Amino acid sequence: MGHHTITEITEEKYHFNGRSKMIAIVLLVLGLVLAGIGAMQVQNHWNDAQTEEVATEHAEGAHHNETPAEHHGEAAGEHEAGTHDEHGANWMSRVWANLLMNSYYFLLFAVGALFFLAVNYVANAGWATLLKRIAEAMTSYIAVGFVILFAVIVLAKDQFYHWVTYFDQGLAPGDAGYDGILESKSWLLNSTSLYFLIPFIVIVWYGIRMKLRQNSIKEDQEGGLGYFRNSIRWSAGFIFFFAFSFSALSWLVIMSIDAHWYSTMFSVYNFAVTFVTSLSVMMMILLYLKNKGYMEMVSDEVVHDLGKFMFAFCVFWGYIFLGQWLLIWYANLPEETVYFAARLEGIYRPMFFVNIFMCFLLPFLVLMMRNAKRNPLVLLVAGLLILVGHWVDVYLMVMPGVVGDHASIGLLEIGTTLAFAGLFIYIVLNSLSKANLYAKNHPYILESANHDVGP
Amino acid sequence: MIDKKVQIGDKKFTLGVFNDEGKLLNAVRSLRKKEVNIFDCYTPFPVHHLDKEMGIKRTNLTVIAFICGALGTTTGFSLAYYMNVLDWPMIIGGKPMDVTVFTSFIPIMFELTVLFTAFGMVIAFFTRSSMIHGFKQDILDLRQTDDLMLLAIEVNEDQPISDDEIKSIINNEGALEIRERGQALEVTY
Repeated sequence: MGHHTITEITEEKYHFNGRSKMIAIVLLVLGLVLAGIGAMQVQNHWNDAQTEEVATEHAEGAHHNETPAEHHGEAAGEHEAGTHDEHGANWMSRVWANLLMNSYYFLLFAVGALFFLAVNYVANAGWATLLKRIAEAMTSYIAVGFVILFAVIVLAKDQFYHWVTYFDQGLAPGDAGYDGILESKSWLLNSTSLYFLIPFIVIVWYGIRMKLRQNSIKEDQEGGLGYFRNSIRWSAGFIFFFAFSFSALSWLVIMSIDAHWYSTMFSVYNFAVTFVTSLSVMMMILLYLKNKGYMEMVSDEVVHDLGKFMFAFCVFWGYIFLGQWLLIWYANLPEETVYFAARLEGIYRPMFFVNIFMCFLLPFLVLMMRNAKRNPLVLLVAGLLILVGHWVDVYLMVMPGVVGDHASIGLLEIGTTLAFAGLFIYIVLNSLSKANLYAKNHPYILESANHDVGP
Repeated sequence: MIDKKVQIGDKKFTLGVFNDEGKLLNAVRSLRKKEVNIFDCYTPFPVHHLDKEMGIKRTNLTVIAFICGALGTTTGFSLAYYMNVLDWPMIIGGKPMDVTVFTSFIPIMFELTVLFTAFGMVIAFFTRSSMIHGFKQDILDLRQTDDLMLLAIEVNEDQPISDDEIKSIINNEGALEIRERGQALEVTY
């Protein structure tokens, strides 16, 4: 009952010992093995399915001989609607699509953590200062995550982006197959953006991340307000740059898979995914550390506030999702509905609803109660719901455009995700063990230690 | 519904007047150590930890908020469903006239959830804290609405220590003045 004011910060270091290291490495290796087996399964299955499909098509063609015009009309309609994106899909498409979605998804955690750091600096917020080192450790994944993402994009760009193959043809107006929609977007969708804009964006992010980290470490050693003030300036610059650059990145990497589609909401939608998932990952790491006996200073009040943040951004995601869906559904314009049409049929239909339930409705109800946000077990469940839900979310962004009807969830998907999780855990925990768990000379550290959210 | 415990009525009070929230907190803490029953504290701004130190239980207002919100959601759905599907089916934008137009109900459901919760909370809060219209609200000391903090202790037989002891504890914790309720104010504004 009685409240004791904390006046001193204990020094604490996380030891990334053998067992945790083992778990991360085992996850990575197991994931790789599973993904390998899964890929082979996909290859075999794909070849079987291909021959079967040809056979049925022949049979149907013979059967429907009397209505060839109708059949032709349907095919043309489909072509115009833009569902031809996956026509060139082969079994490798599914492998590449998995790599793309997972490298993008895990990169989002790191980027979201960097945004969290910057926002706390700019807003002069003190409550989360004890969690600062966790966020910093998470941002260390940006470098590795980006190298993988960029390699995947460069190696398999014609698998993902049909505009790449389209622009290679260099068609003029009036030519057969000339595509006005794609031509109108050529100012962004071109190889300069792909090879230079994407690396430029992420290198600037990583540079600012390095600067913030350096300031934070030096502040630990030397103290003083100078590093804090400097970090605020860099953070403000980062947020300004982030608003534009993150939009551009999400358009280039994910939205241009469905290059014919128009949505001004998409980058905001991706931002919502980024922030809520990185908050959940932060919560997971915090719960893990507290379970291991570290971070005793982080009171229930701080955990409660982080839980509130998770809850708030679940609602934000739901709002942005509805904002995108409601307008497209109401207006019913073909160039916009094509995206949801592809996601409301076949294997994607159940996943579409699973996504809404796991990312919004269930966490909304689970995290609403006050006691839920103070109970580690409930927070763990809610965090897992959000993370798996948004995995499905990113799956739905990538798969329909790249793999089409041939997608399913098998060993390949599970294995790739596990491998990325192992890699992420290894890099983040390794970076966490490099510095003190508390930024002990941060001016707001005591505010965070004595934080109180009231009744 | 109205909480009788927070009504001032004709009760007799010992009042400690403070100008520092730290001193107030300490006074509350030492009084609670002697298990003195504190009637209420009046502060011009929220003081952290004060409610915990006074031993106030958590409010149930959030439950009322949830119930009001759920009521609003169901009202919104029933309203939209009754009007657009049952009573006067209308085709808007070529959309079907059954429950699959659920998407277009969501804004109504959301708005009514917010409206019901907001109104419900305002009414519940004012009722619970006896600030509802028609109640005369006694103010123990006018300065509690300005810059001073008030610690009110009811004078009755249930207190474990005598009134004088209570007064001396408040005095030791640095109160500006100690008064009985109804005593004339000696303030020059």
